[in-house]
Amino acid sequence: MKFKNVLAGLLATTMVLTAVGCGSTGDANGNASLTETDGEEVEIAEEEVPKVAPGKKGTIEFWTVFTGADGTSMQAMIDAYNATNPDYTVNHRAIEANDLYLKLPLAIQSGEDVPDVCINHVERVPLFEENGYLEDYTPYLANSEVKEENYNPKAWKMTEIDGGHYGIPLDVHSYILYANMDLYEKYGNGVLDDGLLTWDEIMSVGDACVADDIIPIGMSWLRVKFLSSYGQLNGKLSSDGSTPDFNNADATKVLETWNKLYDAGYTHKEGDDPWQLFLAGKMLFCPEGIWMYNDIKESGLNAKMFDYPVFDTNSVGNWTSSHQFVIPKNDKRDEEKTQAVLDFINFIGNNSLEWAKAGQCPAHVSIKDVAEFQEMPQAFVADENEELKIYDFKYYGYAVESLDGVLGEVLFERMTPQEALDKAVQETKDKIEMGE
Amino acid sequence: MKERDQHNKNGLNRFRITPYLFIAPHVLIFIAFFLIPMIYGIYASFTKWDLFGSPNWVGASNYQTIFFNKESTFYRQFWNGLKNTVTFVLICVPFQISLPLIIAVLLDKRPKGRNIFQGIFYMPTLFSITSVTLTWLFVFNRTLGLFNHLFGTDINWYGEQPYAWMTIVIATVWWGIGGNLIIYVAALAGIDKTIIEAASLDGATGWKKFVNITLPQIQFPLTYTIVVSVIAQFNIYGQPLMITGGGPSESTHVLLMYIRNLAFGTGKSVAGMASAMSTVLGLIIGIVSVVQIMMIRKQEA
Repeated sequence: MKFKNVLAGLLATTMVLTAVGCGSTGDANGNASLTETDGEEVEIAEEEVPKVAPGKKGTIEFWTVFTGADGTSMQAMIDAYNATNPDYTVNHRAIEANDLYLKLPLAIQSGEDVPDVCINHVERVPLFEENGYLEDYTPYLANSEVKEENYNPKAWKMTEIDGGHYGIPLDVHSYILYANMDLYEKYGNGVLDDGLLTWDEIMSVGDACVADDIIPIGMSWLRVKFLSSYGQLNGKLSSDGSTPDFNNADATKVLETWNKLYDAGYTHKEGDDPWQLFLAGKMLFCPEGIWMYNDIKESGLNAKMFDYPVFDTNSVGNWTSSHQFVIPKNDKRDEEKTQAVLDFINFIGNNSLEWAKAGQCPAHVSIKDVAEFQEMPQAFVADENEELKIYDFKYYGYAVESLDGVLGEVLFERMTPQEALDKAVQETKDKIEMGE
Repeated sequence: MKERDQHNKNGLNRFRITPYLFIAPHVLIFIAFFLIPMIYGIYASFTKWDLFGSPNWVGASNYQTIFFNKESTFYRQFWNGLKNTVTFVLICVPFQISLPLIIAVLLDKRPKGRNIFQGIFYMPTLFSITSVTLTWLFVFNRTLGLFNHLFGTDINWYGEQPYAWMTIVIATVWWGIGGNLIIYVAALAGIDKTIIEAASLDGATGWKKFVNITLPQIQFPLTYTIVVSVIAQFNIYGQPLMITGGGPSESTHVLLMYIRNLAFGTGKSVAGMASAMSTVLGLIIGIVSVVQIMMIRKQEA
């Protein structure tokens, strides 16, 4: 009898707690975007079930990595396209990025359920192209409204590989600098008058901030901070495109700048969450992605976007990635359908305000004529070209993973810049060798 | 006599399908989701493989790298990962055994609200790993967290040792109390109370009764929970991944994190090497379990 009581009690708690458990998991997802560890969106969401009614000739299957709020914006754009009664309606399927990058090659190799068009992060394109997964756009561009001059030149060029063209950019998403303008009034001393912040200028305002318990600048998600500054110095992850060699003087210079900041006490302590501190008004400058602006809006903070800090005013550069439309190879897809895919891509390009509202900067030039976009804080990114530091090293994945392992060690001075870079380069080389 | 022989004979010779049907679901699932992947994983450990193309046979070279090539990243990752995993098992398992046992002994004294407490202690076991780690991440957050706030400390819980291990171990132990607790509560309830009463009459103290009567009586469930906990903790992954990200200085970067990263990281998959590492991990877990089970047998004898 006693045992039965215990069991009943346990079952009851189980039921109650399953409900509670679900609640906290939901919360977890809400916070996931704040603790991003990667350029790729980390939200966990259920895959969408195909539901669109086929057009006269069928449907275009479209896979994206947009599982969060951006998925809703993308769906709205797709709905607008489908409302124009195209021959092929578009069926959107949002898949968590890491899953998509596993599923896509499998689909292409098996020839089953290959999507007709798919969103890839630009860094993925070189390796997928080398593996022969992607269709070359070149023969289809001639008969299409999709034209090079309609797109951000840098984002377009990054997917020109070996004389072919393998991606059409949807957007450019840059890593920039946010400044708390209220604190800037008080402590900024006019360092942003020219619209650019140099590392020396950060050093010059540091003491005044620290005296009032204000943190001058936040340092998290170090891989893109490194890549921004290293890109400003024209650094490449590999000078010959295959052997990593970023353990050089330019890279060391970037990391030594961090050490100077840390030694002076001008950044937060290890273990702090800089973005939360910035949102709480305890930090003057905080580099983050343009896509984080919605947090600023919600918090009501008086903050503005600027270019990522520079060494000197001649070398502006922001780490940037780009979502690209790619066409996975599939023998069963005919030319007519592929051409229809380009029509769809063109439509999205010309109607991308919705995408800008999601916090992104569309890559299609038409967005620049939209007054509503011009009002948006990320609008300046649309005019940038060489300032966008997009990396196209085909082993980018290995390189940034190995950087993730050492950059924190350098910032908090458990490793010297040279040791750290040597270790990261060695790790990247070993993985390349093993992955061949 | 004759009749029975006949019957036995028929019984032995006739193939009876019913028993196989009963075990079929389990066997099929076992083969499809355990045996085949395991054999394929062992095969993959002798290859270079990117998960998509066909694996290239390289013999024992993956094993040679992780065991002997001191220059290699994989050697460093494997040994660092293994060291951290074993460290975690050694710190965590004693707490995972002793804490539920203490609670079970207290509950066995039948205090008021026993069922409620039992439910409360069992609760965390039902949460997902994500909820558990997030809860503790909030508690131990340096600037906004409950702990530093309540005690006026400024401890960098996830970024400094030994705090990083403490956070991971606390989260894990809290999460797992319920499982072992239930087993101990049931075992303690099975002890014949008259023995303890007799001991009390003979003047045995509480501690003596616990060591000389209670512990030997629950010896079997105790060893069982140790084996199960050790196996479970060798497979640690989610807690360090979410709490410390493997830091500081890769001191909480456990083997499964390296393995997962090699096989399913941002770059091209290094699945052959990852398989070799998991095969070795599997072997280690196997050996440890066999040793422990042999110890149980010895105790029983």
